Amino acid sequence: MTATPVLSIRNASRHYQSGDSIVKALDDVSMDIMPGEVVGILGPSGSGKSTLLLIAGLLEPPTLGEVYIGGKRVSYPDAMLEGLRSFRRHNIGFVFQKANLIPFLTALENVALALEIDDVSPRDARDYARWLLGSLDLAHRRDNLPKQLSGGEQQRVAVARALANDPRLILADEPTAALDGERGKQVIRLFRQIATEADAGVAVVTHDPRVLSLFDRSYELRDGRIVKGHHPRQEST
Amino acid sequence: MNLAIKDIRYSLGRFLLTAAGVGFLITASIGMVGLYRGIVADALLLIEQIGADLWVVQGGHSGPFSESSAISTDMDRRVAGVVGVAAVRRFTQTSQQVSFNDRSVRATITAIDFPSDTGDWINLTAGRHLRNGHYEVIANDNLSLALGTSITVGRDQYHVVGLTSGMVDMGGDGLMFMSVNDVITIMKRRTNEEILLARKSDLASGLATGNSDSNGGSVDGALDNQKIAAVLVTLSPAADEQAVREALLAWGDVNVMSGQDQKDLLLNQRLLRLRIQILAFTGVLLVVMAIVISLIIYMLTIEKLHQIAMLKLIGARNSVVINMIVQQAFLIGAGGFAFGIGLARLIFPHFPRRVVMDLHDLGLLAMTVAIICAFASLMGISRALNVRAQEVLS
Repeated sequence: MTATPVLSIRNASRHYQSGDSIVKALDDVSMDIMPGEVVGILGPSGSGKSTLLLIAGLLEPPTLGEVYIGGKRVSYPDAMLEGLRSFRRHNIGFVFQKANLIPFLTALENVALALEIDDVSPRDARDYARWLLGSLDLAHRRDNLPKQLSGGEQQRVAVARALANDPRLILADEPTAALDGERGKQVIRLFRQIATEADAGVAVVTHDPRVLSLFDRSYELRDGRIVKGHHPRQEST
Repeated sequence: MNLAIKDIRYSLGRFLLTAAGVGFLITASIGMVGLYRGIVADALLLIEQIGADLWVVQGGHSGPFSESSAISTDMDRRVAGVVGVAAVRRFTQTSQQVSFNDRSVRATITAIDFPSDTGDWINLTAGRHLRNGHYEVIANDNLSLALGTSITVGRDQYHVVGLTSGMVDMGGDGLMFMSVNDVITIMKRRTNEEILLARKSDLASGLATGNSDSNGGSVDGALDNQKIAAVLVTLSPAADEQAVREALLAWGDVNVMSGQDQKDLLLNQRLLRLRIQILAFTGVLLVVMAIVISLIIYMLTIEKLHQIAMLKLIGARNSVVINMIVQQAFLIGAGGFAFGIGLARLIFPHFPRRVVMDLHDLGLLAMTVAIICAFASLMGISRALNVRAQEVLS
């Protein structure tokens, strides 16, 4: 019996009106991410990577097509995504190129906030945040403000925040762009560890060639369409 | 986790400066209202403290505070004979330059009808009330006179025997209390120039009318003419005020006013324009405060749009964002209000005019600030709710 994909996008298109013409930011894209998989989404600037991430993250509905998360149809043309905030909170974790930490909260508070807004008691939220930071080797930095952390540490705090609600899907947008080669690989390895341990699916938008070999699979986008699919890990073995 | 408090602690200096800025506006508002209250209190002070049931003033006039009043100095005897009148006091006031120690200050000299009235209704801060019918004064402390100081008013020397505090007229000049006979003497005094002018005028008038009396008798008569401003009436406990009033008015040469009439005249006629002016300024100040607070909250929200988008992205409910904005708005308002009151208490006692900080006014101002903060929050909230989670990516 095949497992249900964590994320399934079916024939998704996203069109924008630009003056008299229509721009096809995404054109009939279909993809699946299975539990435990780390999938790369590649492509040059303007190829539709970020649009795909917005649609997969339930931040914008597709103009055509459907999005399933954990087998549940959650997004489709004209879907009211504002009402899916709670679903997003429980099912999707986001990591970006910039850590986007709240500057006036410590590392611990940034992670605990994601739990407290889900009505977890402050004490439990802090305990779990402390454990998460510890597991990412940041226990000694938990009381530091973001400005006191290095770029790599900030990114790991952002990962901890994305993991706080045990999401089934993690969407990462250029998470290694601001990091050096080794730090970038560390982050992708961290995603792999999370995917394996939590049985989560991870989609990483990147154009960083140094980390390609770390993905289970990758999709290459060009002009809003998937032009290639790779299995770098299988190829490398 | 209280995001508003965390943010404030993170940018404490900026919060304090913002609250201080709002506080200065609140101090100015307290000052405007307090100045108005002070002017009203100063204007009503004497009427309230002197404790008269009725004021008998010049016929056809509404003196002595809202317009002039001149009645004969023996009017008190006529009034005392009216049924229902328990006691009468003569009252008059005049503004004079008072000289002492090579200095000169402006004072409003107020008559006390000694010996029937020693001025015991005046609250002293030092010294005593009047004991002699002449050459003693009780002075307000803003005249900077010490007990025992000798001052020159007119041709005579007077000794300061008592001091009061906060007793000024509606112009802010300190009150100086003397026996009514001393005040009449001071008011009667004419300079040589005034006497010459009066004699010339009298002579011209005599020639015009064919009156050849050139002895200046009428001039001297005019110069000797003694007058007071009002007779203060204390009614018998069983007296019918209306009956006494009608009896006095029946003479035709006097007008009768109650203490409340005097207050109404002051507030609704003499001080009306000033009241409207001050209230208009206060209104302008509150509008400025509303705009400033709204802009501050709006700018604080604009600065946090990226963080608000992030909060939305990780699934925060709108209430999390709204609470943060509302709490910060009210903390700025509360901080500004506390700063404003503190500053007002610190500086207003040193102002030349009395600034009254009335608890009721402060309560109303607090409510106004709260309403302004609520309005400012709405502006911030409406902007924050329009932020989309995907703006994190921008």
